Amino acid sequence: MKTNPIILAGIIFGVLTGSAMTAEPSRGKAVYESNCIACHGTGVAGAPKVGDSGRWSVRIKSGMAALYASAIKGKSAMPPKGGNPALSDDDIRATVDYMVAQSGAGKPSPAASTAKPAAAKGAAPVEKAEISRPDPVGAAVTTAAPLVPPAMAASEVNRFNRLLMPVGRRHPPPAEDGIHDPSNDATHVLQPPLDAYTGFPPGPAGNGVDWVKTLEQGKIKPRYDRKDPNAAPVVMDLNIVREVKGSMPDVVYPHKQHTEWLDCSNCHPAIFIPQKGANQISMAQILLGQKCGVCHGKVAFPVSECRLCHSKKKPMGVAQTGKN
Amino acid sequence: MRPPVLLLTTLLGILLALSGAPAGAEYGDVVLNKRAEKEGVRPVVFPHWFHRIRFRCKVCHNELEFKMRAGANDVLMADILDGKFCGMCHNGRIAWGPENCDLCHSGKPGLPTGILGGHGTSGPGRW
Ligand code: HEC
Ligand code: HEC
Ligand code: HEC
Ligand code: HEC
Ligand code: HEC
Ligand code: HEC
Ligand code: HEC
Repeated sequence: MKTNPIILAGIIFGVLTGSAMTAEPSRGKAVYESNCIACHGTGVAGAPKVGDSGRWSVRIKSGMAALYASAIKGKSAMPPKGGNPALSDDDIRATVDYMVAQSGAGKPSPAASTAKPAAAKGAAPVEKAEISRPDPVGAAVTTAAPLVPPAMAASEVNRFNRLLMPVGRRHPPPAEDGIHDPSNDATHVLQPPLDAYTGFPPGPAGNGVDWVKTLEQGKIKPRYDRKDPNAAPVVMDLNIVREVKGSMPDVVYPHKQHTEWLDCSNCHPAIFIPQKGANQISMAQILLGQKCGVCHGKVAFPVSECRLCHSKKKPMGVAQTGKN
Repeated sequence: MRPPVLLLTTLLGILLALSGAPAGAEYGDVVLNKRAEKEGVRPVVFPHWFHRIRFRCKVCHNELEFKMRAGANDVLMADILDGKFCGMCHNGRIAWGPENCDLCHSGKPGLPTGILGGHGTSGPGRW
């Protein structure tokens, strides 16, 4: 029974922190960034964009309760809870509060407050708290990244690269990454990503590692079998070219790089019917986490690396002449 | 023409995701918090980058039948102690055992279940 004290500590910790967390605005932000930004960051499928105060102030007239209900139950192109049933109703409410506040539509303007004062009441304090922040970027930094020096003095505001994240701040060690609890002793035992990546061929995005090359060059030898370190993967070398309308280069889907990591049944038939051309794939689906987007943008290299997928130049002379 | 508009929205989305992302979690980190916090322990943080150095995706997502969708697996501590899920490896033989609660239960309180990782992640898998 030597684990008892640890369990106890865990429970006490949970109880101590549990009560304070529900109203935390950073929770709404975190849910938004991991569940809603795909549509509400871009305006895909007619979703009101966060930051577009015009479109949000129209919606808020029906009251916060109505917005909560839409987000929980779903509305036209929006699936219930943005498609993540694991989220609680409280998560959704905190997220809607965050989105409304970020869109500048949460101001207690007469229109919004007279329409349905009763419904909006519950959310009002949260909105105010959000609104009083100087700007969205500043808010993001202060809530989620404690490693930023607390005094972001006037000179910092006009930093040369205001939005480009400095290299040193990418892949922070667990205790500083905003999701691990720094007050947990074990957090400091966890490996910092950059330590692990030393010597790996760099990649442009995601983990900042080119996993394909890292594997090819034998820098890592991930097991193919849980127990047997010598089991070899069944690699299939079959490229599928998908022609793309318009000016983007065609997509080459390589089975080789995928079967190095994955089993056929990870993709076939749940994600892709194993027949060339039998699957409808579009960028919108990928951005929403479907098809290639099940992995790319999650664990495999992100969608920002257009050229890795769109790798086959079009055989058309004229338009390409300006190329170097 | 239609494509340029699409392209623009795409790029815009990416730019937005890029600029909005705080110096946060490592790409591919998964928070598991369907039960943990309700049961009085911190949320679990599962680092993909760390495990993919040691195992192919297939080991967990095929052999061990971890569904490739954050939050889709109902993981109970009893199952782990029984040698299922994380417990297939975290059993004191392939990797350190389940008594090291705080190595797994290391998340900040209040984190929602889901995959994280700065730019490029656009919500849970939807398929
Ligand atoms: C697949 C795309 C998609 C995702 C993901 C998504 N939304 Fe939406 N959302 C929409 C669309 C489209 C609308 C506009 C619906 C309409 O008015 O017809 C909308 C509208 C809304 C509205 C306004 C509802 C109203 O009644 O006017 C709220 C609030 C909202 N979304 C919240 C969220 C939250 C919170 C999340 C994340 C948990 C989320 N959405 C994720 C597409 C999405
Ligand atoms: C296929 C086997 C396997 C499975 C399944 C597995 N792990 Fe691991 N895990 C490992 C190995 C091997 C290590 C390295 C152990 C060491 O460093 O001694 C590890 C290390 C870790 C670490 C420490 C990382 C560090 O920075 O040192 C954490 C945290 C972790 N695992 C969490 C989890 C969680 C949570 C799950 C279940 C959701 C899980 N693991 C499932 C094999 C596995
Ligand atoms: C990462 C996902 C993924 C994995 C893993 C994968 N495939 Fe595929 N496979 C695809 C895609 C995407 C296509 C193209 C479908 C299309 O064009 O509509 C495809 C097409 C195919 C086709 C049709 C080829 C043709 O010319 O019609 C066969 C056969 C196939 N896969 C077999 C396999 C086998 C066998 C494995 C395991 C060794 C495997 N796949 C692993 C994604 C995958
Ligand atoms: C089941 C998960 C999964 C799916 C689905 C998937 N991929 Fe991948 N893909 C990977 C992994 C893992 C790698 C290895 C590189 C990495 O992790 O960044 C990879 C690598 C690649 C590479 C190799 C890049 C290089 O540097 O050689 C290309 C190209 C690619 N994917 C395109 C696609 C396309 C196109 C689709 C959709 C038709 C797709 N992938 C679907 C997991 C997936
Ligand atoms: C993970 C691989 C992958 C990445 C990364 C990727 N694409 Fe695509 N893209 C595809 C696939 C697959 C298709 C569908 C091709 C088809 O029609 O069969 C596609 C289609 C397109 C289309 C045609 C219209 C449509 O929506 O189907 C455009 C335009 C496009 N991509 C632009 C981009 C841009 C811009 C980027 C970088 C920001 C990008 N893509 C990154 C895989 C990718
Ligand atoms: C290998 C990683 C790992 C270790 C070590 C670990 N857990 Fe867990 N634990 C998990 C995962 C994953 C979940 C599921 C989280 C969820 O979905 O909420 C979980 C869930 C739980 C839950 C809630 C679910 C339930 O079954 O009641 C409790 C309580 C819990 N763990 C306690 C502990 C305690 C106490 C220890 C140390 C003796 C411990 N855990 C060690 C990974 C781990
Ligand atoms: C050590 C085990 C392990 C390995 C190895 C592993 N994963 Fe995972 N993966 C998990 C766990 C655990 C989850 C979370 C499941 C949950 O939340 O219920 C997950 C979730 C996912 C998801 C779902 C994310 C979402 O959007 O919902 C994807 C996609 C994924 N993994 C892809 C991969 C790819 C690609 C690889 C190989 C490069 C890989 N995984 C390697 C354990 C693993």
